Amino acid sequence: MAEQQQQEEEEGMRSPNTPVPGGSPTGKALSLARLLQYECSRLLQLYTEQETFLSELPAEGGRMVSLGSSTEEPDPEEAARRMHAALRQCLGLLHCAIARAEEEWGEGESDYETLRYTVRIRLEHLLHTTKNLLQTDDVALEVTPDIRCDEETDGSGGAFQLKLWTHRVLLELVHWADHATQALHVLHTQREGAQDV
Amino acid sequence: MPQLQTRRWPVWLICCLLSVVHTHAQNDATVPQQVKVTPDMRTQQISISWLGGSATLFDVMILRTELNETVFYNQVQATFNQTTGRYEWNWTSAEPLECTSLSVRIRSRRGAVTSEWSSTQILQGNDLPTIANYQMYPEERIVRTGGSTTFCCIVAEGGVFGSVQYGKTAMNATRLSRRSYSITVTHQAPSNRTGTNVVCTDALEKTKLSGTAVFVGYPPLLSDFHCETRDLTSAVCQWKEARDTRLYGKRRTVYSLNKRKCQKAGLGENLMTCSAEHWEGNWTLEAANALGRDSISDSAEIRHRVRPVAPANLSAVVYAWNATLRWNWGYDAYNSLPLVCQVELNFHENKTKRTYTSVGLTTLRLSELYPNEKYSVKVRCGAQQNFWKWGNWSQPLSFKTNIDVPDQPDVWMHINNDNSGQIIWKPLTARESHGPIASYEVTFWSPKENLQHTETLPPDTFMLPINVTRITAFTNDNQVVATVTAKNAAGYSPPASVIIPLRVADKSHIESRVAYMDGGFRLVWQDDSNSSCGYVIEWHDALCQQDCYLEWVKLAMGSTNASIESANFRPGVKYNISLFSCSSELLQYWQGYMQELAPSRSVPHLSIRQEDSNVFLTWEAMPEAHRRGYILGYNIYLNNDSQLVLLANLSGEESRKYTVKGLSKGTYKFTVKAFTSAGEDTGATISIRVDQLDDWLILNMLISLGTLALLLSIASFFCYRKRKWVKTAFCPDIPQPKLNDDWGRTQGPLDVRPSPHNLVHVVEKPELDSLKGVLVVIPEEDEEEADRIGDASVDTDEPASLRYYNQMIDERPVRPRSPDSSDSSSSSMDSGQTDVTYTGIQTSASSLGFHTDQRDSAEFGMAASGDGYRPQRQPASHNSLPIPPQSSQAACSGGYKPQSSWDLNSPGEAEEQERLAPCLGSPTSVASTQFLLPDGESEERGEEKRPLSASAAGWFTNLLSSAKP
Repeated sequence: MAEQQQQEEEEGMRSPNTPVPGGSPTGKALSLARLLQYECSRLLQLYTEQETFLSELPAEGGRMVSLGSSTEEPDPEEAARRMHAALRQCLGLLHCAIARAEEEWGEGESDYETLRYTVRIRLEHLLHTTKNLLQTDDVALEVTPDIRCDEETDGSGGAFQLKLWTHRVLLELVHWADHATQALHVLHTQREGAQDV
Repeated sequence: MPQLQTRRWPVWLICCLLSVVHTHAQNDATVPQQVKVTPDMRTQQISISWLGGSATLFDVMILRTELNETVFYNQVQATFNQTTGRYEWNWTSAEPLECTSLSVRIRSRRGAVTSEWSSTQILQGNDLPTIANYQMYPEERIVRTGGSTTFCCIVAEGGVFGSVQYGKTAMNATRLSRRSYSITVTHQAPSNRTGTNVVCTDALEKTKLSGTAVFVGYPPLLSDFHCETRDLTSAVCQWKEARDTRLYGKRRTVYSLNKRKCQKAGLGENLMTCSAEHWEGNWTLEAANALGRDSISDSAEIRHRVRPVAPANLSAVVYAWNATLRWNWGYDAYNSLPLVCQVELNFHENKTKRTYTSVGLTTLRLSELYPNEKYSVKVRCGAQQNFWKWGNWSQPLSFKTNIDVPDQPDVWMHINNDNSGQIIWKPLTARESHGPIASYEVTFWSPKENLQHTETLPPDTFMLPINVTRITAFTNDNQVVATVTAKNAAGYSPPASVIIPLRVADKSHIESRVAYMDGGFRLVWQDDSNSSCGYVIEWHDALCQQDCYLEWVKLAMGSTNASIESANFRPGVKYNISLFSCSSELLQYWQGYMQELAPSRSVPHLSIRQEDSNVFLTWEAMPEAHRRGYILGYNIYLNNDSQLVLLANLSGEESRKYTVKGLSKGTYKFTVKAFTSAGEDTGATISIRVDQLDDWLILNMLISLGTLALLLSIASFFCYRKRKWVKTAFCPDIPQPKLNDDWGRTQGPLDVRPSPHNLVHVVEKPELDSLKGVLVVIPEEDEEEADRIGDASVDTDEPASLRYYNQMIDERPVRPRSPDSSDSSSSSMDSGQTDVTYTGIQTSASSLGFHTDQRDSAEFGMAASGDGYRPQRQPASHNSLPIPPQSSQAACSGGYKPQSSWDLNSPGEAEEQERLAPCLGSPTSVASTQFLLPDGESEERGEEKRPLSASAAGWFTNLLSSAKP
């Protein structure tokens, strides 16, 4: 689990200045996903710098965002749709994390809080992009957060528990941003060929 | 055994008595009943209450149940609650009550008598096996900065306690129970926004942990509280938090104004605000957070706290020189409010503020604006009466004023020496042009003849060349008036006139120097009654001769002084400053430097020449362009390469020559530096090799010696040709001596060798040689012959009859006869020798004893004592003369005595000197023409040259020494 987290962080820490895959819709979506991946990793880094005890805390508790189990390997389109759904849940979690943090500690202006706002905007942007990319006449996609903020979501266990929960949310964001990058990369490869990857 | 029982009975008796006493005491102290323990987890306080007894003093024992460790055991004064009929006592635990179970029991005390302990009441902690997970207490505690807090960690069932960290600090834990561990943090520092984390981790599994966040901060502290009104109805109160409470979000400070909660206290630049719909006069602000509360009050009438809102809808009606501003307030209450308003006017880089007052001010007139100028204005106002604060600035308004006709140009003229000249005028600034200048018009007008000529010039022209000679050709008038007008879109400027004099003033007789003081040239003149329209002062670089860059200033009539200031003045530049009447008549003329500098170059054409031991330095005047100040003089230095030695300081610019006197032979370098009041120039250096005058002396001496040698050669030649006569005159034949007895042991010829000294000078002052015996030679020649000798002798002052003196020998070269012969005489005495001044050969009496034994000497002494002539003995190597046998007697009679003589250059001269020494001072007669007249060969060879050369050398040395300065 810890290795997986480290791998995710390392992948996420790739510079956002890596070559962008062209101007096609999937290319743009892939670029956005990569940017989100970097920013989520950076956000996690800033948070663990702020709450230092989390830096040595391995991820646990399983996935917060879950998709229906599927035994078959989905095709790229379907994988991208599943990714889109996961990102909606991530957006919901992020909304909750922001709301709970502001309720608990007020609105700050630290680097973490600034980047947290940026990630939210970026995630919403990616959702809009992937919606336009994947939506068909038969399949309608939403971009609104898919999780409501309640005690069941964040546990309402006080400030310390909120920190632990927020940490899990950030790990989840990193994971699904990485997943989105991979899914969009496959989709881009399928749609645009090997060029511009 | 019975004996043993018998011995035990006293002990048993004592125990019984004690038991009776104790039973009696217990009967007096009632055992507490129905002990009840009520916890307050937040405050970590337990309230203990019980029934029974009349005692007011109780023993309370609190133990950690699991480890049976006493936490508290003491006598306490319980409070009796009349309502409940129970005794009550509170205890605060250092650890959170959740940390572990506590056991409580009580007994009553009456003096030393106590009751039985009550039944134990247990307050259950959260470390019960039924609560198996990790826990940390207290949860989300808010504590004051600097305080202390005890935290406890309850390890999960099956877990192993690892560590507890407070923030980034690992803490030492104390075990409270099987699963519970505590840490105590003291002097807690303020926490950050999200609190300080206290984390307890499992020793084996990192993922197993518990934790809490503690928020360390301050209670609120208020300052700078005041309320004001913007709309003359409502109130806006402001304050500052004197310190950051470090508590945010749901732990933030809550404010209430006059008991009404501030819904959202605005925060900007540490300034908090809270509004109220109506002005109440007295205001109290209360602030509270989890750590405490604070309050602050303010009281004022509403008219004393008016801070107007910003003027809205600001607009302007613009003209060339003024503008009218309008705005509105938005509140009717302002219409009756006396207001003071401030207008900030921005144009170019300037910013000015103007103040206006009126009741309900909504319009004002901005005057004294400049035409064709961009302005930006904004307005703010305050209450004129009981001014509180300025209101907010309005939004800035920009406008541009209209154009107007240009100002009158500033015109002047300058006539060069060649009658050329120019009409010049200063460019109009934006402030003066009042709009873009379209053109300039210059009109020449002859007042007497009423002739007029106009020229139109483009807007970027500020000068019109003129030729006075040509103008003079066209008019008979003494002067011509030039009028300049500027034109823009609004029209013509007022004309500016200048009179062109048709004759050039002579400046030479009115020049004077002027000093630069306090940032300007201070000029003073006498008022000229003819200059009824003022004066013009013009200045330019003095080096400029033609079409100079001119600056001028016009002064009002009656002015008698001015300070000429210009940003163009440069140090080291001489300026010509001229005062003109308004009719262009030159009244006065100055020259001056803003600041004098040292000359920029060295003096030109520095030259040097030598005369005798003096050198003359001359140079030319410093060129005007390089003076950079008034030349005050020159400094003359002797330049030793390493340093300059000041030889002279010449005052005056005209002092351009200098003589350095009395220089000895050598090479000299001289440096000449001109100096102004600011210092010296770099210096011009010139060198010269001074020839020693000794060379001239040597030359003169050589010439003299040559002349002397020539004369001697002539004399020698003459003597050679007339040698017979010379011999007759100086060396007459000596008559054959008559020997009366045997004059010597051997009858051979007397070997008389010449003295080592071949020069004999007969001392001319025989009286100085009084110590010496005198031998007088009485020649036997006739009087005529004696007279001839006297005439021909070099020593013309010698008496006719030659006298020979005994003498002391001086080896020194013969020196020319000195006027003070006593010197030579005395020196001769000192040396034990005597100079005999004579142009012959000197000999020594001692030589007589050179080849004779003691007896010979005695015989010689006898002869010397006699008077009359005695023949002299000669060495065999010289001309043999017959030795008269009676010579000793003749000598003794005071007559002629023979003397020995030998060649000066004979070997063994020094030895002979020594041998002769004992004979010095003995009376000796020497009389021999042989010695006095050497043979012709020796005469020609050296015996005349040696004294000559020696004499010349001595004279030369004397000259050298005397030539030295």
